[in-house]
Amino acid sequence: MAVGRTATDWARPRARIVGSALATGALAGSIAVAVLALYAEGTLFGTRKAFALGALAFGFGLLGWSGSVLAGRGVEAMQRHLDAAGDWTEADSRRAMARITGFGFGAMLGVSATAALV
Amino acid sequence: MASIRFVLKRIALLVPVLFGVATVVFAILHLAPGDPARVIAGQRASAEQLEQVRRELGLHRPLWIQYLSFLGDAAQFDFGQSYSISRGAPVRSVLLDRLPVTLELAILGQLAGIFLGLPLGILSAIRQDSLTDHVTRIGALTGISVPIFWSGPLLILAFATYLDWFPTSGRIDSTLFLPDSWHLLGRELPLTGLVTVDSLLLGNWTAFTSAVHHLFLPALVIGIYSTALISRMMRSSMLEVVRQDYMRTARAKGQGARITVLKHGFRNALIPVVTIIGIQFGTLLGGAVLTETVFGINGMGLTIVTAIGALDYPVVQGTVLTFALLFTLVNLVVDITYGYLDPRIQQ
Repeated sequence: MAVGRTATDWARPRARIVGSALATGALAGSIAVAVLALYAEGTLFGTRKAFALGALAFGFGLLGWSGSVLAGRGVEAMQRHLDAAGDWTEADSRRAMARITGFGFGAMLGVSATAALV
Repeated sequence: MASIRFVLKRIALLVPVLFGVATVVFAILHLAPGDPARVIAGQRASAEQLEQVRRELGLHRPLWIQYLSFLGDAAQFDFGQSYSISRGAPVRSVLLDRLPVTLELAILGQLAGIFLGLPLGILSAIRQDSLTDHVTRIGALTGISVPIFWSGPLLILAFATYLDWFPTSGRIDSTLFLPDSWHLLGRELPLTGLVTVDSLLLGNWTAFTSAVHHLFLPALVIGIYSTALISRMMRSSMLEVVRQDYMRTARAKGQGARITVLKHGFRNALIPVVTIIGIQFGTLLGGAVLTETVFGINGMGLTIVTAIGALDYPVVQGTVLTFALLFTLVNLVVDITYGYLDPRIQQ
């Protein structure tokens, strides 16, 4: 954390990224249950597959986020070393992966809530 | 202090990695088509029988409860019982039984890679553009390009079927049996499960030669890629190091060429190679899946292939998580080693 920045300054943009992705995921999860239940093999099938899809996004995002933290600076250094600088940065990757993780987790929560209601 | 923080950060990052792997495996297994209850009960089972099997396995519960229960158990390295391939047996005991087999293969492959790849890479670099260099580079390129599922059967065909030098499958002669424990200073100790090590611990030379004879081809197959990659990496790294000022200074001070390369060049050239060796270990574990299938060796690789076919969720989950844990731990060791080889990294 940079000098002069409070914990709130640090947490607010992060919470906004994860929170918006979580809300989108929850909505998408609920819609996915309804769509899969209508067009596939019933509510049970719909909730199971939608939850598993949400879990896949969550797990993928989590792995990507950890990978960015573990190796991101190395990749940036390698890009500079090879003079092959693209637009990829560790911070951008972490943000993107946090969004995917939030979306997946939101979908898992949305599916579970919809299943409990139905 | 910096090094302790460095190591602690790496250890802390293992948690989200393993959590992510566990979640992805759980999701993929539940997205895959097929019903484990149908596999266990058989194609002619009635709806009631299928429902009963699902209840016994806990598959009737909502998926989020299954997920939380799986995560809780996985945190304690408990994956429940095998559905079908070792029906009723705890997955932990299946894994403990098969893990040494795969580890032995991966370690032998890695050793082959290190002991062949490093000297070949150094030789290739110090004799740049000579015939030795060209042969080594072509060999390395071939080794990297050839897949295990092709080189394995080809080596079996050449050295086992036609020449009859090595056996086609197994880890040890079927007539030889190793006990479960050995004695040291009157105390009974468990064996490692690695046949080469166990036979040495027991002083059983017949078993040792049989194990080496059986494991030579699989270790060679698994080690080809490793040897090729390490030699290529060592060559380019060494070429970069020999052009450095401190190497010229060492030579100018009258130090012999061999000493300069081995004492000053080798350690510095080793830094990027160590990273490759760590990442390579993951490839070796992946290669073990194919090698064990080709050579009929009953390790984790063959187990996971059989378990996927039989929709044995707990065994697949346990095996993948064990692979992930091994891979992350090896990379942690590599990161620490890397820090010691180049103290600037710890800063």
